[in-house]
Amino acid sequence: MLLLDSIFIGLLEASPLILAAMGFTLIFYLNGFMNIAYAESITFGAYFAILFNVVLGAHFYLAIVPSMLLSGALSVAVYLGIFRPALNRGVGPTEMIILSVGVSFLLRYGLILAVGPVNMFLNEPNITYLQFLGMGATNLQLVALVLVLIAAGTLYWMIYNTGLGEQMRGLANNHDLAMASGINPHRTSVAIWFIAGCAGGLSGIFSGVFAQVTPYMGWNVILITMLVTIVAGVGSVRGAVIAAVAAGILTAFITLVTKPLYAEVILLTMFIAVLTFRGARTA
Amino acid sequence: MDYLIFSFSLMLVYIGLAQLLHIQFGMAGIPNFGVVGFWGLGLYGTGVLYLTYDVPLFIAIAMASLLSAAAGYVLALLVLQRSGQAVLAATLALSAIIATLIVSEKDITGGVQGLGTIKFPFGDMDGRNIVFMVFILIVVIALVWLSAKLRDSRMGRQLVAIRDNEELAASLGKNTASTKRWVFAVTCGMMGVLGGMSAPLHQFLVPYQLAPSLTFAVWIALVLGGKGHNLGATVGVFVTFGLFDILIETYAPVPAEQAILLPNFKLFCYGLVLIMIIMFRPRGMLGEDKPRVRARPAQAQGVPRET
Amino acid sequence: MRLEAQNLTKAYHAHEVVNIKNVTFGSGGLEGLIGPNGAGKSTLMGLLTRRIAPTSGDIQLDVGNGVHKLNPLKSHEVARIGLIKTNQRIQGFDSLTIKDSLRLAATPPKDEGFASLFAKERDSDEIEAKVAQLVEAFPFTDRNGYAMSGGEKKLVDILRCLIAEPKLFLMDEPTAGLPDDITRMVMDMVRQKVANGEMRVVVVEHDLPMIWEYCDYVHFLSEGSILFDGTPEEVKSNRVVAEKYMGV
Repeated sequence: MLLLDSIFIGLLEASPLILAAMGFTLIFYLNGFMNIAYAESITFGAYFAILFNVVLGAHFYLAIVPSMLLSGALSVAVYLGIFRPALNRGVGPTEMIILSVGVSFLLRYGLILAVGPVNMFLNEPNITYLQFLGMGATNLQLVALVLVLIAAGTLYWMIYNTGLGEQMRGLANNHDLAMASGINPHRTSVAIWFIAGCAGGLSGIFSGVFAQVTPYMGWNVILITMLVTIVAGVGSVRGAVIAAVAAGILTAFITLVTKPLYAEVILLTMFIAVLTFRGARTA
Repeated sequence: MDYLIFSFSLMLVYIGLAQLLHIQFGMAGIPNFGVVGFWGLGLYGTGVLYLTYDVPLFIAIAMASLLSAAAGYVLALLVLQRSGQAVLAATLALSAIIATLIVSEKDITGGVQGLGTIKFPFGDMDGRNIVFMVFILIVVIALVWLSAKLRDSRMGRQLVAIRDNEELAASLGKNTASTKRWVFAVTCGMMGVLGGMSAPLHQFLVPYQLAPSLTFAVWIALVLGGKGHNLGATVGVFVTFGLFDILIETYAPVPAEQAILLPNFKLFCYGLVLIMIIMFRPRGMLGEDKPRVRARPAQAQGVPRET
Repeated sequence: MRLEAQNLTKAYHAHEVVNIKNVTFGSGGLEGLIGPNGAGKSTLMGLLTRRIAPTSGDIQLDVGNGVHKLNPLKSHEVARIGLIKTNQRIQGFDSLTIKDSLRLAATPPKDEGFASLFAKERDSDEIEAKVAQLVEAFPFTDRNGYAMSGGEKKLVDILRCLIAEPKLFLMDEPTAGLPDDITRMVMDMVRQKVANGEMRVVVVEHDLPMIWEYCDYVHFLSEGSILFDGTPEEVKSNRVVAEKYMGV
């Protein structure tokens, strides 16, 4: 029963993480650096939802799609304005991470300067509490889970079964060869950054509706997202999904048997252990 | 006045941390994103030893920094031979683990309620905060001097070689893994020393002090000043911490309602500066400096003098 | 001085790149290792210096002070016993000058600890002399600066290994990327050191005239196995080698 509970709670809690990890992985895979500013795709997704849902008064479900698209657009803008010029200048992977920290700061504190350092709440749709196979969950949680699973499935299908996914893999593996075989690197990259931004935005919207919307919400999950991605192996979207689900279930399980704080400690320790055996060796 | 001394003391601690990061990242190429963790172990280790076990302050600092060094050594053993991105993630994770444990183990650390009060050493002497600031200053100057000695030494040359091409260095017989591990452990231990010295500065310890923002403040300062220059850390901290946290926060006439946004504005500017530096001047304000070795006439027979 | 490999194999997935029953290097002064493209020469070199882990087999090195089993050793430990290899592709330390790069290689690792921070001189007169002698022997663009061209980097790579004074020196395609006259200067220097008994050498090369000219003994590798060993004359006149490699 404990196991079933952990799986169920884990899936519910991990669903935003799955999306975030997939989007983060896409960029990691395509451009070879960990984009810490991805945290702001998550945060801004939630704030765009505030804009549509709270400021403009749209129903929560109606706010999801435009917020997600805006988050994708922001991601593309950041890519074109900062990351692509930096990559063209030959900035190395570690410096790219530092650069992404800068971008993250710029966006996050820019946001705070614009809207103020206060926490906000989305107007949730009517909540009903449902019994589902003996376990309790709200309709919103179930809708979120289903939506996230659909989005994750679509993304997964896109990476492994469409031309875009193939082009992305081509670009990541051998940039010159891919260009020689007629892939437009510009269009593919823009598409990937857009999709990654949308995934992050969606992740933020759902994390936001379950709790609250804060300027730090993306930042709070970026470490775990980063670790999930590295543990999953460089750029394996499949691995990222599995690692994210495992992390979610594990967290739920440890939380159920001990304290939530220990769940975090144990999870992070396990990540370091996995890095010890899995991370790419240098010498 | 006391606040200004506190700010200056804290600035010196930041310079020390950035200087150690210069050794770790600038020389040896180890991207330590867990600076606050090693500093924090020193901080809380000192606090707990001093308050709970009545260990004299300086002995407590020494013991706590051994803890930081040990943590650095073990982490190095686990992940230092992995890719840079893995090292970065693992160090960040370690600092998150330390921060979380400080909150959860409240029987030892006081949890979110905090831990206090840690007094300045030197008894009831007047101006002991100034004396302590001078003490920190001496330690930081020693660090800057040592790191110049390292740059000019055979060990420093080996570190640079490892940073440039570790596999090649290993093929020439250098035990690169062991060198990196020891340098990392020792510099992490020194971060612990700075943490321990921050304990009487803060007097009252709360988990919030272990937020990753300290790590990033140190990184931004170093990258801005010049990660490959021995004075990069000093210049970088003066320009960031000195300018914003001391000059502007103390003297700028900002109306009270805007004053709460000031730290956010500071971090916004840090982000902007970081982007500019990486894009347009990746070696930082000072660039890089080369080892200074006394030029000597060549000794071999029949060999022309070097010029 | 003997480097011996037994039943050495390396397979990537199911594809076997190297499969050698028995081979011994180091007994013939200056030895050559030749073979067609893809014969596994570079893989064999990597296996011998422990940069590549073998699928199976044992490697042993006898340097006169006992037999070292190389299998459990790491790359730097192999180098410390006295087995050092040059690189086929250009490798270097971008932040070190030519001289610093050589000084680094000439410095014993035990002198590079924390104590070196407080040493009066960074490098001993002995090391300075060795470095100066090597650098003066070759026409670098800037002897006190950095290696400029690919050729200079390749030369520095070879000199760096030489100054580390290996007992068995493996040269992986020394002619690739080096001008002919420099190659000859290097090979003359190497031959001199072999004649003085300072080291034994194995050269992996495509440039057969150079092999015939400099080598005392030649191993022929084809499809991952040693097909033939012998003096240059014996190898040249061997029918199998001629068919498989020289296309006669």
